[in-house]
Amino acid sequence: MMEKERAESGLEVTVEELGDISLIGLSGEVDVYTAPKLKDAINSLVEKGRYHIVVDLEKVVFLDSTGLGVLVGGLKKVKSHRGELGIICNQERILRVFRITGLTKVFPVYRTREELPAKEREKQDAG
Amino acid sequence: MQGNPERCYELEIPAKAQYVSLARLLASSIARSMLFPEEDVDDLKVAVSEMCTNAIVHSGNGTADKPPILVRYFAGEDYLRVEVSDRGPGFDIGCVLSRERTDLLEKGRGIPLIQCLVDEFRCDSQPGSGTVVTVVKYLRPRPAPE
Repeated sequence: MMEKERAESGLEVTVEELGDISLIGLSGEVDVYTAPKLKDAINSLVEKGRYHIVVDLEKVVFLDSTGLGVLVGGLKKVKSHRGELGIICNQERILRVFRITGLTKVFPVYRTREELPAKEREKQDAG
Repeated sequence: MQGNPERCYELEIPAKAQYVSLARLLASSIARSMLFPEEDVDDLKVAVSEMCTNAIVHSGNGTADKPPILVRYFAGEDYLRVEVSDRGPGFDIGCVLSRERTDLLEKGRGIPLIQCLVDEFRCDSQPGSGTVVTVVKYLRPRPAPE
């Protein structure tokens, strides 16, 4: 039942490894109902020792402060292991929420996947 | 001469997280039918989501047989007013607004975010009684074509 509810929750989460970076791809809405899925994905990576995480928000159509809270929680976790958590986002409607809450100063923000740190992209291209 | 009368739409949802998207959907449908610009529709969706999330969290998020959340939308000639009422324990709004904020807090961004996204914000809540949060967004006149 739980799996079925999750599948219908309006948020798809995928995880991809790009060299040292773990890329979490989100598609759908991030709110109080769906944000636990994102939290689980981040926690699972941290448990595996993956502390350099980027969350791709390009296919996110809605995000509120519950989603921001999960991202901030993830950032705190990876920072305690000298890691980093950034976002990929080029959508004004989503960036606006980060900007208003002052979080564009807290998260590294990449406009596209191509802006990810160069050495990781080289690994991706080589692979 | 009087303008168009205010129309009221009501939505009653269980105090559970999966119903917040329904309140957002109705907010965006009403705002679009009133010809709000898409940016303002997005702002209203976030504000309504925050209001309903707070109401559900304060009502126990479906952990027990909690009373439902009432969302009322009042569409006037040049404004949309949204009122979210819960019958939770209530809280001291003064404490929420004066709370010290740091960049890495995981919670507490909801109400400041709502205040930035709407034209008017009001919260009637007291410990021991329910809470009614009201926001208003005005429809701005479109620039005249040149």
